[in-house]
Amino acid sequence: MAMIENRRKKSLVALAMVTPFIVTFTIFFLYPMLKMIQLSFTDAPLIGSGQWIGFDNYTKLLSDRLFTISLKNNAYFVALTVIPTTAIALLIALGISRLSGARQTLVMALFFMPYVLPVSVVTEIWAWMLDLQFGILQPLIALISGKPVAVFKNPYWVMPSVAVVTIWWTNGFNVLLFLAGLRNVPAELYEAASLDGATTWQKFSRITWPLLWPVTALVLTLQLILQLKIFDQIYLLSGGGPFNSSYVLLLKVYREAFQSNNGGYASAVATVVFLLIVIISVLQFQLLRIRRNR
Amino acid sequence: MMRLIKSLLLGTVLGLAALPAAAQQDIIWWDFLSGGDGVRMKALIDAFNKEHPDIRIRGTTLEWGVPFYTKVRTASAVGEGPDVMTYHLSRATLGIEEKVLSPITDADLANAGLKKEDFFEAPIKAATQDGKLYAVPFDIHALILYYNADLLKGSPYIDASGKLTGIKTLEDFNKALVWLKDKGVPTPLTYQSGGDGGVWRVFYTLLTQQGGEFVTNGKVLDGDNAVKAAKAIDTMSAWREKGLSPEQAEYEASVALFSAGKSAFQLNGVWEVPTFKDLEKSGKLGFKWGAVEVPPFMGKRSTWADSHAFAIPNEGDKTVSGEKRAAVMKAIGWMEKHAIGWADAGHIPAYKAVTEGADYKAMQPNATYATLAEAAAFDPQTRITGVASPAYDAALNVIAPAIQGYMNGKDAVEQIKLELQDKLK
Repeated sequence: MAMIENRRKKSLVALAMVTPFIVTFTIFFLYPMLKMIQLSFTDAPLIGSGQWIGFDNYTKLLSDRLFTISLKNNAYFVALTVIPTTAIALLIALGISRLSGARQTLVMALFFMPYVLPVSVVTEIWAWMLDLQFGILQPLIALISGKPVAVFKNPYWVMPSVAVVTIWWTNGFNVLLFLAGLRNVPAELYEAASLDGATTWQKFSRITWPLLWPVTALVLTLQLILQLKIFDQIYLLSGGGPFNSSYVLLLKVYREAFQSNNGGYASAVATVVFLLIVIISVLQFQLLRIRRNR
Repeated sequence: MMRLIKSLLLGTVLGLAALPAAAQQDIIWWDFLSGGDGVRMKALIDAFNKEHPDIRIRGTTLEWGVPFYTKVRTASAVGEGPDVMTYHLSRATLGIEEKVLSPITDADLANAGLKKEDFFEAPIKAATQDGKLYAVPFDIHALILYYNADLLKGSPYIDASGKLTGIKTLEDFNKALVWLKDKGVPTPLTYQSGGDGGVWRVFYTLLTQQGGEFVTNGKVLDGDNAVKAAKAIDTMSAWREKGLSPEQAEYEASVALFSAGKSAFQLNGVWEVPTFKDLEKSGKLGFKWGAVEVPPFMGKRSTWADSHAFAIPNEGDKTVSGEKRAAVMKAIGWMEKHAIGWADAGHIPAYKAVTEGADYKAMQPNATYATLAEAAAFDPQTRITGVASPAYDAALNVIAPAIQGYMNGKDAVEQIKLELQDKLK
């Protein structure tokens, strides 16, 4: 009897602790999301409701040239950022883990600093550094391409440049995750391996890499979700141009909703982006887990 | 402690109750004027507030373009907009479609002491749809050609008194640009070649100077207009290719090129006139300058123009009404009659009594380029044109890179049609 009462008490406490989250989640996420899906089946303007038009918005998407372009650009951007940023973060984390004491803290702080900055500051810094007439990085670019390049106004340079800015900005967080992962690898394993005469590469590939895999999978998944949602940097640096070469899905949502007054259509694009992210990230996570179980 | 809170509460309640007794009308005012003209507008607002103890305008300046219009429309939709705002007439069609603009009735105009006939016809036409007036025009502003008289000295294009002369065709102009380049002027002609506004204004001027129209019968750059648009873009590309105009210049940089004496010509709006006037007055400019109506480069007299106007936003299902609306109209009327202070910002007052007055006729170079009122080419009244419109996006997304040499004029025009035709329902 006492046990049953105890259990009931326990679940009441649990309920009390979960309720604030469920309430916030429902009001600020679930409700807007359902509303968005509902809107995507109407011809609503930006504000106010519209007529039910079934799947018209979705069929229109199929023949929308800009939608196809932005899908491709999103894929391109993911390819440019997700794996590179993960690899770079791992390298940096491996380097930092070899340092110790105050020096380690300092270097860690340096790599983490950009992550603290708001996106507007980040883009402003890079816009200045890459400014065609006065940018301090232009001599470097001139070395590679022979002449200064207005990178955010060049159809070929724009996406890689935004990718560089994004990696510089968000990498610190990934480094932190990897460092935490590295600290969880027991030191005895390395000692034992050393006693057995393992080389540095063997230690990395047989101990560090397999044990770090759960963290790597997490970083890859988080990055994928984050980079599929690319918007701020593009909006602030290139506005989707030139020739739509940096036009991405969320920019499409923004333009349709806030410029062309098509709330319903914008919701349809947003719903597709949402489903895309859910499907791809679940798929990716499963795939990475299979690898891990192997 | 409780007592303190109680007395604080009481004090607040009493304070609130006392407010209406003072009967001061607060007018919330939004504008997008941050340059030299913003300074003039603030002076006008201050003068108005001083003269009217019963009305107080509280001005807020927001960022020009997309940020301003996005904010206006979302704020007005939920009833949190200002009481009065500045608005570009090129956007009137969009504003009406978005249900942002509250119609200005004849009674409103009477409250302001104004009549439609007091204004130039073109801006009134741009502010009217289905017989209803949606904004009160304040000015006409247009693209003009600024020149540096000192750099042109010794050329056949400047007369003894420092006035620009002999530039009537594109050929003349190109010759002058080459003459300057040979003389060592790094960028003879400057304009904002890397941004939406500057590119659109020059493009639209060159298009309409050929008699071209951007939209005809619901079609973007249809038929012959496509050829003319391609020619306009190719003309701009040629300037860039020969090093006569700047590569991807942002707005501030494009103005700086002229004020630093690195460019002898500038194609920019009238709103930069006060900048150079102020620089000249403080002795920092270091050269003699002037400004004229853009010469008919492509054959016909025409120049891109737009109007700043005053508009009252809808507030959700309601709009500003009653005494507040009367106070707003009174403020608008006062501004119109004191528009000479606005003319000082380079703009041509839309209120004819001011423009025809002696004070204005004595203003230079304003009175010189005021001739352009006859050749003003407003953006077409469609939902894809106007400030912060899809056409401006296309200027940045397609025309600007085309000028950089990534695409020829003909292909660029095809791309513009592809971008915009669907949006023109």
